[in-house]
Amino acid sequence: MTRTNATHAPLLELRGISKRFGGVQALDRVDFTLQAGEIHVLLGENGAGKSTLIKIIGGILRPDAGEIRFQNAPVQIRNVAVAEQLGIRLIHQELALAPNLSIAENLFLGREPSRFGLLDRRRMVAEAERLRAELGLPEMGDVRARVGELNVARQQLVEIARALAGQLRILVLDEPTAALSEAETEALFAKLRRLRAQGVGIIYISHRLEEISRIADRITVLRDGRSIGTQCATDLDIHQLIRWMVGRELKGRYPRPPYQPGKVILSVRGLQAPGVRGVSFDVREGEVLGFAGLVGAGRTDLARALAGLAPLRGGEILLDGRPLWLRSPQDARTAGIALVPEDRKREGLVMTQTVGFNLALPWTHLWARGFPPDHARRAAIIEKALRSFAIKPGSPDLGIQTLSGGNQQKVVVAKWMEQPPRVLILDEPTRGVDVGAREEMFAIIGRLVARQMAVLLISSDLPEVMNLSHRLALYRDGCIVRQGFATDFTPEEVMMELTGAAAGAQSEAHDGSPAQERLPHV
Amino acid sequence: MKLTELQEDNPARLFQGEASGRAFVVPAALRRMLPLLAAIAALLVLFSLWVPQGRFLTAANLLDLTQQISVNAILAFGLTLVILIGGIDLSVGAVVAVAGVVSVSLLNTAGPVAGCLGGLGVAVLFGAANGLFAARTLMPPFIITLATMLIARGVALGFNESRPLPIGDNQHLFLALGNARWGGWLPMPVVIMFAVFLVTALLLHGTRFGQHLFAIGGNREAARFTGIPIARHEVIVYALCGACAGLAGMIHASQLYSAEPAAGQGFELTAIAAVVVGGTSFSGGIGSIPGTLLGAIIIGILDKGLNQAGVHFSLQYIVKGAVILAAVWYDVRRRNRKL
Repeated sequence: MTRTNATHAPLLELRGISKRFGGVQALDRVDFTLQAGEIHVLLGENGAGKSTLIKIIGGILRPDAGEIRFQNAPVQIRNVAVAEQLGIRLIHQELALAPNLSIAENLFLGREPSRFGLLDRRRMVAEAERLRAELGLPEMGDVRARVGELNVARQQLVEIARALAGQLRILVLDEPTAALSEAETEALFAKLRRLRAQGVGIIYISHRLEEISRIADRITVLRDGRSIGTQCATDLDIHQLIRWMVGRELKGRYPRPPYQPGKVILSVRGLQAPGVRGVSFDVREGEVLGFAGLVGAGRTDLARALAGLAPLRGGEILLDGRPLWLRSPQDARTAGIALVPEDRKREGLVMTQTVGFNLALPWTHLWARGFPPDHARRAAIIEKALRSFAIKPGSPDLGIQTLSGGNQQKVVVAKWMEQPPRVLILDEPTRGVDVGAREEMFAIIGRLVARQMAVLLISSDLPEVMNLSHRLALYRDGCIVRQGFATDFTPEEVMMELTGAAAGAQSEAHDGSPAQERLPHV
Repeated sequence: MKLTELQEDNPARLFQGEASGRAFVVPAALRRMLPLLAAIAALLVLFSLWVPQGRFLTAANLLDLTQQISVNAILAFGLTLVILIGGIDLSVGAVVAVAGVVSVSLLNTAGPVAGCLGGLGVAVLFGAANGLFAARTLMPPFIITLATMLIARGVALGFNESRPLPIGDNQHLFLALGNARWGGWLPMPVVIMFAVFLVTALLLHGTRFGQHLFAIGGNREAARFTGIPIARHEVIVYALCGACAGLAGMIHASQLYSAEPAAGQGFELTAIAAVVVGGTSFSGGIGSIPGTLLGAIIIGILDKGLNQAGVHFSLQYIVKGAVILAAVWYDVRRRNRKL
């Protein structure tokens, strides 16, 4: 009796889980169930709350409200140790391995075999070998090799093997195939299917729609911290999934600047750089060129290359039709290319300093040429920036860390404007800022474009990048997959391209190798 | 295409040099030792030619050399553990002095056992305090141990109005620490150095505890995710480093026949030099006790050789600095090529 009960009850059940970070409601009364022996795909845009949800399941975060039931009994997953005891294993997106240790040592980290208090290395190697054979992970390589010497795919396999060792009931994988080749992905899927047959419940997070039909039993979509709906793989409707994912109203909140393009300022032809694999595009004066893509598509690599932060390896960059070879950020700046980086706290601002210090920093050659420095000039530069970007509070002597995220971001943009650049690259300019600040940022983009500046807008927020941009470049795996006028795309189409669902469908139609189809420029 | 690549992947080809051999750390560690052994051989040859009348390469001279490096090596073994987990301990030199004065003053009043326990105990206390601050606060270890270095020095100077405390002639046991010869020939400090070497090497390279130290130094987050009690390990490591400093302090006092409150100045820097020349990464996660022993030997040979060759002491500093730079530069380059 009890046994049949246990098999029918879900392995894991989340009821009304909520979690708030400061002003952001990351999860809002989310319900989720996982059966033993199923692969449940969790789908959603960046920031939909997937990572928060699995961190709660893994004991890394605790929910503000809601109930978690494990095998029909309420549990409190207070920390990682409790989760491990329940047999819950997380495979994080960022690898959690010690690069200086060998594969075997990493596999047994924290539970090393020992005899009379001494480490039993021979048994460790033997058990690691056994584990490798048992799990069918021959690609993992020599278990005595140092993890730091392995490529990312192999490191991922080590991480998976570590999760599989020992008592396992629930396995959570956060975008595990991001760094894997097609063959490695297939090997992983075979492994997951075997675990499913053994009754393990698997939660699988992915952006890639093409993978869903290959692996999922059920799919749940999260959007803006809410669970929107669940589908069974037996009646899979990709278009409905995409509508669920993008769902919200796409028009209205985003004032696209009037389109009055001038001449082409920047032409990029077959650009090669680390992470950039043959990118070509033009951008005109007064134009917003949006780069849509998923996190990890490599758009930041392109931004860094164009800002002179990464070595160029091939192709060409033309500024006003004249070739430009960027060797340093100084070269880019002289040419009139400025970057507002993705991570404003690490790359955009000197966080230990004042607002004024940050605003005046790029212009030391104007106010601190000789001795004594020209304090009046410095004050004028700061004052102008504070006023024209309505930075609040507008006092130059406040520490930058006392400002809100939105105002910090305005400082990062404003610090370039004493002598405005001709091309401004904005990498995720609205990440981590509240709604009001987002709208201010949109207005700033409009003003810059009206002054005939060219703006390259990188954003993982699909409605934002689609509605602000005049033209759109769809970016995937280090290249532009498609480009055109933003109004010519539908969100569903864009999502299909970005997730690879379109390429997957195409390759099935052509009966060709999917791996090659995924790389349109090669 | 990728698939066949993977199948052809032959571990021996991918991880050249890691192929076969039953243990997997020893060969790699040994390979790391080879340049150090070569450097030692080269220095021995150099000084045997340079030092006049063949006075360098004699048994008596080399025995004397091992005796001279023993205090530094003992300090360096403890420091290796600290540096391996990404920390640093600047206080060891001052703790040498504190352990000396505390043990000798107890020795003269309460007997040899109390003296030894007291000297070791106060050193462990300083180490554990360093560890607690490092583990429980956000203060950087450099600053913590800079402060405890000053405090320890102050404590030492507070004894006997900063004058040396002589050891009574009847304290045979304590005097034996620094001056006895085991079996009639091997200096006692060298015996103790080897004992500390064995204990720390076994601890670091042969136990789960040591394994966890490598993990903490290599990726603190990963260590935390796997449930390794980082704070506890950190306190233990600093306390062990303190214990090494205490032992070194008592040997040093015994060798001098008195405890000097000003002893041990700059010892921490020589010990750090031995650790890094021995191949321990200053950012943590990579290193070994045998490497540190070889590092201490290299520093010791340089000291003695340059002295006996009659090199002016100002030039000795310059040469030692250059050797440290060269050793670490070589090590960093080699490591970067590998990873």
